[in-house]
Amino acid sequence: MSGFALARRTAVRYPARTCLAVLGVAVIAALNFDMLLLSRGLLLSFADMLGGAGYDVRVMGGGGVPAIRFPIHDAAALADAIRRLPQVGDVARVRLDQVSAAGPRSGPEQAVTLIGASLDAAHPIWTITAGRSLPVDEQGAPPSVVLGRSLAAALGAEPGMLVRLRAGDRDGRSLLPAIACRVVGVADFSLESARALTAAVSLDTFQAVQGGGASDEADLVLVASAPEVGPDAATAAVARLRPGLHVYSNAALVEQFNRNGFAYFRQMSLVLSTTTATFTCLLVAVLLTVSVNQRLGQIAALRAIGISRQHVAAMLLWESALLVGVGGAVALPIGGVLARALDDILRRMPNLPERLHFFVFEPRAVVLHAALLAATAVVAAAYPIWLAVRLPIAPTLRREVVS
Amino acid sequence: MSIVQADHVTRTFRVPAGPVEAVRDVSMSVAPGDYVAITGPSGCGKSTLLQLVGCVDVATSGTITFEGRDVRALTEAERGRIRLRRIGLVFQRFFLLPMLTAWENIELPQAEAGVPKAERRLRTRALLDYVELSHRADHFPSQLSGGEMQRVAVARALANRPALLLADEPTGELDEATGEHVAALFDRVNRDGTAIVLVTHNPALAARARTHLAMKSGMLQPA
Repeated sequence: MSGFALARRTAVRYPARTCLAVLGVAVIAALNFDMLLLSRGLLLSFADMLGGAGYDVRVMGGGGVPAIRFPIHDAAALADAIRRLPQVGDVARVRLDQVSAAGPRSGPEQAVTLIGASLDAAHPIWTITAGRSLPVDEQGAPPSVVLGRSLAAALGAEPGMLVRLRAGDRDGRSLLPAIACRVVGVADFSLESARALTAAVSLDTFQAVQGGGASDEADLVLVASAPEVGPDAATAAVARLRPGLHVYSNAALVEQFNRNGFAYFRQMSLVLSTTTATFTCLLVAVLLTVSVNQRLGQIAALRAIGISRQHVAAMLLWESALLVGVGGAVALPIGGVLARALDDILRRMPNLPERLHFFVFEPRAVVLHAALLAATAVVAAAYPIWLAVRLPIAPTLRREVVS
Repeated sequence: MSIVQADHVTRTFRVPAGPVEAVRDVSMSVAPGDYVAITGPSGCGKSTLLQLVGCVDVATSGTITFEGRDVRALTEAERGRIRLRRIGLVFQRFFLLPMLTAWENIELPQAEAGVPKAERRLRTRALLDYVELSHRADHFPSQLSGGEMQRVAVARALANRPALLLADEPTGELDEATGEHVAALFDRVNRDGTAIVLVTHNPALAARARTHLAMKSGMLQPA
């Protein structure tokens, strides 16, 4: 009979002890699993958010992330040059500014982030939830606007209605006239928080809201690399076009955030997962040690009849592995539910992008969880095994008889 | 040739009050087919002598040879292998594994000794028949009476066909009638060729042995 079979029989033989141990391990391991999800959750979520619109290279005028952006001059020519590169699949120019917006009904103006985007790009940087995306504006007709969900609700606007956009925020003193725009769609903006007030228009309309003129600037140029070459080659090719620009692949941005912005989460999750792993280890070690101490006579008798030390050690190791393994498996759904609840709480923080999550599942987390638990099971079993294999057979049998 | 030969064996324990000689200058020999009973008052060193003869413990001085091999020169693993294959041990408290059935308890030392599965099945069935517990094969120790547990323990001790069966107070936890049943089983085991050394307070059990030795203050003498 193998060590595993003996361990399994022992677990079945003492159901109350087994259930308590499994439950204890499950609760602690669920926290541990959550820490693993948290350790890379923001990073994964951030990467997913950046790649969500289908662009994997970003061109900026200067600074890093999220420093103040410098405008890119001659943006149209730059976009054309980038589009002609064989490493590139798609290009979008983006402008950003704060404006104020008034809805079709009388009400206060809202301070809004206005996005101006070139319409020749294949991928819009928003996801339409009602109506349609921006068409090319017709001569004489009001220009089109896509409203974020929160802004549409705040203004009471739906597709087909007119809203007015005016340069400057609602407390600003801009003398520029408001531009009436027709709402063509309502959308989610992946980089904006759920409560952010956002609207998107064409670059021409953006320019008109700013008072017209012949500005050819962009705050950001988004590039989708050709699928066959990938973002690194595209990044290098774009950087060669105009050396003064700052060109980053999404992966480079994620790495930059990983080094700077997310270190706190990583450190916190490292501390907490080490703590929970220690608790798991102590729990199982205590249970197994108590169990071994209760079975000293039995173990001494086993050794006396010739059962090897290795066999006894294997039995105890498997007992530990079974308690930790079953507890660890039960921990996965508990950890999943807990992670979701914690994620909901954390995402209530103001100004977080809608698509940003703190706890993100990835298969790697399960593998790490399993590896950590396996190590915990081995460490937890070490002392009880040491006790059992070093047990002096003759004195123990004598003590058992006397007692 | 004897199975086990003890020459001037002494076993001393160090305790805070000073060294205690549990076994003093004992010499004895057990040959194939022998049936030896050792009696004596509690604490006189009977169980210690049994553990020395059974390679569970090692003498402080003197020599014990088991089938020609000096026990003190053997490693713990080598002594373990001798206990597994050549010696059967029966304890006062049975020490059956509570999570295994009677069948599995008897199979356990065979599996440890590497007996093939089919052979194990045959031997275990025969041993359960031998101790008249075939109908209890699937019962756990907690479902057996004291006498039944001790008979399973005897079957377990015989599982690897040992040359020597050692029993430490095998009827100590049993009532008179059940003890008689177990004693009859030992007689049968001995008749079938296995040498037995047992330690007991039970005069009726000791009287069944062909050799009866008495122990007093760690020293052995004819009863």
